[in-house]
Amino acid sequence: MKHIAAVLSVLWLLTVPYALHALPAAADVQTFTLKNGLKVLVLEDHALPNVTLQIFLRVGSRNEYPGITGVSHFLEHMMFNGAALYGPKMFDRVLENAGGATNAYTTENVTAYQDWVPKSVLPLIFAMEGDRLGTLALDEKVLENERGVVLSEYTTGYENSDYELLDAQLRAVAYQVHPYRWPIIGYEDDIRNWRRSDVLDYFRSYYGPNNALAVVVGDVTPAEVKALAERFLEPLPSRPVPRHVHLREPAQRGEKRLVVEKDVSSPRLLVAYHVPETGGTDYYALELLRIILGSGKTSRLYRALVSEGKLATETWTYLPQALDPTLFQIYAMGARGVTAAAMEKAILAEIDKIATRGITEKELQNARSKAIVSFYRSLETMSDKADLLGTYEIFFGDYARLFSTAAALEKVTAGEVKAAAARYFRPANRTVGIMMKGR
Amino acid sequence: MYFPTDTIIRIFMPVMRSVLSLAAVMALVCPPVSAAADGATAGESTALARTGKSFVLPPFEKFTLTNGLTVYLMEHRAVPLIYATAVFPAGAARDGGKSGLAYLTAESLFSGTKHYGKGKLEEELERHGVVYSSYAGLDAAGVSLTFIKDDLEGLFPILREVIQDSLFTPGEFDNRKRRLLDELTQVKEQPELVLDPYYRGFIFGRHPYGNPLFGTYGTVSKIRSADARAFYRAYYRPEGAALIFVGDFSAARMKGLVQQHFGAWRGKGKAPEPPATPPPPVFTSPRVLLVNKDDAAETRFAFGGLGIERNHPDYVAMQVVNTILGGRFTSWLSDALRIDAGLTYGVGSSFDAFKASGTFAISSFTPTDTTVAALTLARDVLMRLHTQGVDEETLRAAKGYLLGQYPLLYETPGSLANLLAAMFIYDFDAAYVNDYHRNVEAVTVAKAKEVIARRFPRDNLQFVLIGKAAALREQVKRFGPVAEKDIKSNGY
Repeated sequence: MKHIAAVLSVLWLLTVPYALHALPAAADVQTFTLKNGLKVLVLEDHALPNVTLQIFLRVGSRNEYPGITGVSHFLEHMMFNGAALYGPKMFDRVLENAGGATNAYTTENVTAYQDWVPKSVLPLIFAMEGDRLGTLALDEKVLENERGVVLSEYTTGYENSDYELLDAQLRAVAYQVHPYRWPIIGYEDDIRNWRRSDVLDYFRSYYGPNNALAVVVGDVTPAEVKALAERFLEPLPSRPVPRHVHLREPAQRGEKRLVVEKDVSSPRLLVAYHVPETGGTDYYALELLRIILGSGKTSRLYRALVSEGKLATETWTYLPQALDPTLFQIYAMGARGVTAAAMEKAILAEIDKIATRGITEKELQNARSKAIVSFYRSLETMSDKADLLGTYEIFFGDYARLFSTAAALEKVTAGEVKAAAARYFRPANRTVGIMMKGR
Repeated sequence: MYFPTDTIIRIFMPVMRSVLSLAAVMALVCPPVSAAADGATAGESTALARTGKSFVLPPFEKFTLTNGLTVYLMEHRAVPLIYATAVFPAGAARDGGKSGLAYLTAESLFSGTKHYGKGKLEEELERHGVVYSSYAGLDAAGVSLTFIKDDLEGLFPILREVIQDSLFTPGEFDNRKRRLLDELTQVKEQPELVLDPYYRGFIFGRHPYGNPLFGTYGTVSKIRSADARAFYRAYYRPEGAALIFVGDFSAARMKGLVQQHFGAWRGKGKAPEPPATPPPPVFTSPRVLLVNKDDAAETRFAFGGLGIERNHPDYVAMQVVNTILGGRFTSWLSDALRIDAGLTYGVGSSFDAFKASGTFAISSFTPTDTTVAALTLARDVLMRLHTQGVDEETLRAAKGYLLGQYPLLYETPGSLANLLAAMFIYDFDAAYVNDYHRNVEAVTVAKAKEVIARRFPRDNLQFVLIGKAAALREQVKRFGPVAEKDIKSNGY
C-alpha cells in the first residue's frame, strides 16, 4: 500500500499550490495580447540571472504542399540570415557576443525560435526578434549557401538513422492525402528547387504576429516584458489569417505494408496505427498505452521482444504531438538472425492481448508514476518551462492544461485503456514498414 | 545501449537549425569543453553581459565515511525529485585487454542482486517511476537514479544491493552480452556513433585511452560473467568511490541513511594497485585513416591530435580559445564551412579531456563529393588560428558568450550531480566553478597565443574519415599516408 499512497500523494501535489517548490502553477503565468494579435505568456523564475524568450509560429510542414515541401524548415534557417537592422550573420554574432545563445526547430505543426540570454540582454533580443519578424531579407546569395546546409542536413539524417529513413517511407504509405505524408525536411527535389519567391510568400502568409505566440520565462517581471513587447513587437503589422489546413486523412480501409531495402545487419520494423490528434479523444489513454507498451524494462514490448523474447536489441513506442490525427508508432531493431515476421508476430500478440484482456491496475499505476517523474523532469529548466507552456497553448489550446496533466492521467481507467487499444490497434488501421537486406 | 530510455526522445528531435556538438555522444561523464566565437560586433552588448553577477555553485557537503567512501550532499528544491549517482574508478581504461568489460559490468548492475532477481528489481524501480541507468566512460563507471523524494527510504536498500551485492549470474550476463554483440554490428550502420572510437583508437593506439568503450566483437565474445564479477570486486569498492545526492531532501536525514546502508560496507580482499598510466603517444608524421562504408552518401570526419587532461591549469583558457575556433554557432569553423560555403550542417572543435590525457578534434560531415573541400577549409581555419591568433575584440566576444551561458550549464539537479561526479573523478573542486568568471576574464591575448601554440595541434595532424573509400582514396593522400579499414570489419 505504501507505494500506491506515495503515487497518490504526488498526484495531489500537482493539484494544490506548490508552497515548498519552485514548481509553477497556472496562476503564476501572466498573459497579455498585443494590439496586433500576438499573445504573450510570462512566467517569473528568479533562480538564475537569465531569461529565455521563445517565439512559436503556428506553421510547420503540414502547411506545405508538394513543390515546396520542407520550406517551413528552410524558412526557419533563413530567419537567422539577415533583416533590415541586423544583416547577414549579425543575429547570431550580436547575440552570442552578448552572452546569449539561440536555436530553433520545426515540426510538422509548429516552428519555434528559442533565445537564452543573460537578463540584461533581454531588450536586445526583443529588438532583434522584432527586426527579423518584420523585415526578413532573404538575400539570394545567402539563400543558396543555406540550401547547401539543408542538403547536408538531409543527407546526414538518412545516413545516420534507419528509423528516419523507414519513417519517411512509411508516412508516404500510411497517409494518402494529409500533409503528414512528407518528412519535415522535405523532398530532396524541393530542397534543390524552391525559389526566393516561394520562401518569401511563405513568410508573408504565416509569419504575422497574429499567427504567433511568445513565451518568456526567467529573471524578469511581467511589466518589463510588456514594455519590451509593446516597444519592439507591437509595431509588427498583423497579417491575414492563414489558410486553414482542410485536408483530413480518410479512414484507412485495410492493412498497408511496405519494404525498404537497405544493407542492414538485421531487420528493422515500424508498425503504425492512425490515432486522434494531441489532446483529442482518448489522448491520455493512448499516452498511458505508449508507456505500458514501450517505456522501460518492465514494459510489455521490451520484455516480449528484448529481454525475454530475444528477438530485438531495442524497441520503443512513440506518440507524436500533432494538431491533426497522427500515427502511434512501434519500432524494433532485430537481433541477429531474427526475421521481421517473427518480430511482427510478437508485437501484434502483445497488442492483441491488451485489446482483448486489458491491463492490470498495477500496470496503470506504474505508467502513471513514470508519467509523473517524466513530467517533473520536463519542468526543470527555464527553457523546458517555456517550451511546455508554448506547446500546451498550441496543441491543447490552453497553456493551463499543462497543470492538469496529472489529474487527467489519474482519471483514465484500465477499461478505457483496453477500449482504446481495441479501437485503434485494428489490422485495417495499421501500416507495417520493414527495412531489410535486398534479395 | 546507445539510447537509454530517457534519451530516446533525441531520436525524435524535430528538424533543427543546429545540433550541438558531438561531445554529447562522446563524453559520458565529463562536462564537455565546448564553446567558440567571432569578433564582429557588439562591444556594447558584451559589456551588458559583464554586469551580470558571476555564478556560484550552490552549497554542498562533502565527507568521507570510515570505509573511505566519499559522499556529496547538495540540497536543491526546484522539483520534488532526488538525483542519486554513484561513481567508481571502473572505466574502460581498466579493461586490460578485455575491451567492453567495464561496460558490460556496469550494464549488469541492474541484472540481479542478493535479494532482488532482475525482474523483481526492475518492477520495484519502475513502479516508483524511477529513471535508472548505469554508465561506463574511460575513467569511471557507475549508476544514476532519479526518483520522487517520497520514495527515498524505500529505494535505499536497492541502491545498496546494486552497489554492494550484484550477482552477475551467467544467464542474465550472457543475455546482455549476446545483445551487445548484435549492437556492435548495428552501431556501425550509424557512422556518427562510431567516429569517436575510430578517432580515439587512431590517436591513442594501444594506450588504455584507445580502448573502445563498448568493446569489439572479438573481445566481447570472450568475456564471461566471472570476468565481470572479478572486475566488480576489484573496482566497485568504498575507498575509491563516491555517492552523490542532489535534490529535495534534508542533508541530516540523508546522512543517517547513508551511514545506515553504506557505513558497514567493506571491499572484499585487498584493493588492487591502480595500473600505471603509460605516456600518451607522440606523432612524428601526419596520418590518415580511411574507413570504408560502401553505401555512404556523405563523409564524416575528425582530425587533430592530443589534447589535455581535465584538471590541467590551461583548461579554462583552452575553452575560451576553442569557443572562437569551433565551440559555438558563430565560431570560425562554422562561419567558414557552414555559413560561407554551405558545405555542412554542422562543424565544431572540441577537447575531450580525461583524467590523464585527452584529445583535440575538429569534426564535421559533408556529401562525398565535397569531402576534400571541407577538410581543406577546416584545416585552413585551424592554421589561421596559429598564424593570425586572436585579437582583443574576438577574445572579449568569446568571453561574453561563455560567461552569459555559464549559469545554464548547472541549472538542473541532474547537471549538478554530474558536476560533482566529475569533480570527484577528475580531481578538481568548487573553485573551478566559483572562480570561472575570473579565470575566463584573465585570459589575455598573450595567454591565448601561448595556449594556441602549446595546446592546439598544428603539425602531424591525424585524420579519420568514414565514407566511400573508392571515391576518396586518391584525393585524401594529400593529407598524409593513408591506411584503410572497412567499417564492417571487427573493431576500430
